[in-house]
Amino acid sequence: MFDVIVKNGLVVDGSGAPGFKGDVAIKDGRIAAVGKVTGEARTVVDATGRVVAPGFIDPHTHFDVQLLWDGAAKPALEHGVTCVVPGNCSLSLAPLKIADRARLIGMFQQIEEMPPEAFTEAFEWTWEDFAGYRAAIEKDLSINVAPLVGHSVIRLWVMGPASQERAATPDEIKAMQDLLRECLEAGAVGLSTSFVDVDENGRPVPSRFAQFEELDALSAVLGEFGRMLQIVPEFYATDITIARIDQLAELSLKHNIPTTFSPVFDNAGTPNSVPRQIARVEEQFARGARVWPQMQTRPADISFSLLRPSLFFGRLPRWMRVLRQPLEQRLAGLRDPAIVEKMIADTGPDEGEKLLGRLVLRGGDAAPPELAGMTLSEIAKARGETPARALISLSLEHGLDVAFVSANAGHEKTERVGPMLAHPLVHIGASDGGAHLASFATYGDTGYLFSEFVRKGHLTLEQAVAKITGETADIWGLKDRGRLQPGKAADIVVFDAERIDRAEELPIFDMPGDGMRYTRAARGIDTVLVNGEVAYTAGSYTMARAGVVCV
Amino acid sequence: MDEAVIVGAQVVAGHDGSAELLVTLRHANGVEAPVQLDEATGLKLMAACGASHVDELSGQSWRRIVE
Amino acid sequence: MAALTRQRRFVTPGPDETVEELARRAVPDAPLEAAVDQIKSWNLHVFAMRRPPGLLLGSDVVFVEPPITNA
Repeated sequence: MFDVIVKNGLVVDGSGAPGFKGDVAIKDGRIAAVGKVTGEARTVVDATGRVVAPGFIDPHTHFDVQLLWDGAAKPALEHGVTCVVPGNCSLSLAPLKIADRARLIGMFQQIEEMPPEAFTEAFEWTWEDFAGYRAAIEKDLSINVAPLVGHSVIRLWVMGPASQERAATPDEIKAMQDLLRECLEAGAVGLSTSFVDVDENGRPVPSRFAQFEELDALSAVLGEFGRMLQIVPEFYATDITIARIDQLAELSLKHNIPTTFSPVFDNAGTPNSVPRQIARVEEQFARGARVWPQMQTRPADISFSLLRPSLFFGRLPRWMRVLRQPLEQRLAGLRDPAIVEKMIADTGPDEGEKLLGRLVLRGGDAAPPELAGMTLSEIAKARGETPARALISLSLEHGLDVAFVSANAGHEKTERVGPMLAHPLVHIGASDGGAHLASFATYGDTGYLFSEFVRKGHLTLEQAVAKITGETADIWGLKDRGRLQPGKAADIVVFDAERIDRAEELPIFDMPGDGMRYTRAARGIDTVLVNGEVAYTAGSYTMARAGVVCV
Repeated sequence: MDEAVIVGAQVVAGHDGSAELLVTLRHANGVEAPVQLDEATGLKLMAACGASHVDELSGQSWRRIVE
Repeated sequence: MAALTRQRRFVTPGPDETVEELARRAVPDAPLEAAVDQIKSWNLHVFAMRRPPGLLLGSDVVFVEPPITNA
């Protein structure tokens, strides 16, 4: 008797091999058989007309805090993600001394934009060491977690405030090595570091004060375990990223470790950038180094409101002149009919229909909630105004706290990004799930991979599945995950290949303290199993809590 | 020409959802390369140059960026 | 081991190294003021971005020549 049989689906097993009609049987949380399965099961999941694939793995998230009150990392699980990697970009919630909590919270808030209540009301701090954090999240997990430990917190533990002031001494580096070893023994999947992040005061995070020798010493410890080094490089120019690729290659070769940098991002303004990065990665792989560029699937958007100056208006001089003034003068300008007429004239004879009409009102701020998701063109028509005039008048009516998004403003050209994602050395990830909460939704990138790149013919179904399951598991050394093979953990997603997608971005108020975040629901996902238990089905989360720290 | 000069600028999407400024510099050796400025730095540059359109940045010295 | 194509040369700052000290070591043949200017113009990612003015970090990539490839 099996526990579960997923029957009659198109089995796409995560290896990249062609899919085949068949069943997947589960016993004791593991895959027991794949193919034509005979026998009984306590639960049968009918997958007729659906794809049966390994659960997706999201290798770049910041769910560290959310996991303490939401063991499903919602909405990640409903998108078919069965394993998340938190702790990226040098920040994790452990190891952390009680005295350093406030300092780390500031850094986390800068990156995650999480309300303060998330740290003061939503959970009880019960740990200082990494094993303690692991125990705290493991109590209630319905998704699997492969946590990175952050270089910045390791530095903070050993050096205190000096971690954001100076290079480490040899004794301090030795102490960091010992601490990292302890974290890896407690289940950390690797170490993350950052060359770009700042804290809430604009001061570089601790990892950025490290000499290369420090990173080299920590990588030596990673080498003892064969675990990952993740970095976030500067986004400013290709030459810098290539320099980081070379540094990672040196560490990878010297210590025999996998490394990854994220995010990689295609931009029309620098069309040679990603090709140059990939060319360098190819050269380094040819030398035996493992340096995985991690590319996101979703396009980048630009958000703005008239509350703060924005470069969005960099090609509209009269708008720029008014909006970069201090608030009182800005408001006076926007209320002056003569100035407004000139601003509107800047937007062309159609008064912004072509230039601004496709902007989408975001919601979650002072704007009327019923307008969320509407285009400025639609809003303007309903108000009997032109788009440029509606942008100004609607903003004025709500204290300028009305955000708009210019969607698909970067990394948006499917015909360019598709072949990049399909490249054998490009690692799909960089979702940033759980971060940038008040800026944009970081969920549903896996659905977007299928809707935009598979259904438009840039990757096959099997290629796409392998990229975010088997290949990801291989890159990160998650030996138990990523493939539908007997003996592997039964992390499974059942989805409709024609419907899987991310839904519209919408504001919801489900963070502690009624905090707002932008999110996207899933489309086309029928059922998600984690370690053999149904964790999500027919649009609802179940009571299953079978998630583990899976390193 | 013996120092880097701005020869172009455009507004691009930043990683964090903000609009950023991609400035192209022509260096003394004739090679042109971009540097992407975060929104605050980009706005500061435009103000320092008295520019209200990104095209007005062309011809400005690199020194304006660090002023 | 496979050969690598030449890329732009860089160094990383030593502990507490100043811009002037780095410029002297990286561009030894130029007068100090000119060397500092060159280092700054080649490294706007260090000198124009959010951080306390003048602060060099041990993890910085500091280029010691102008770009060699048109982007």
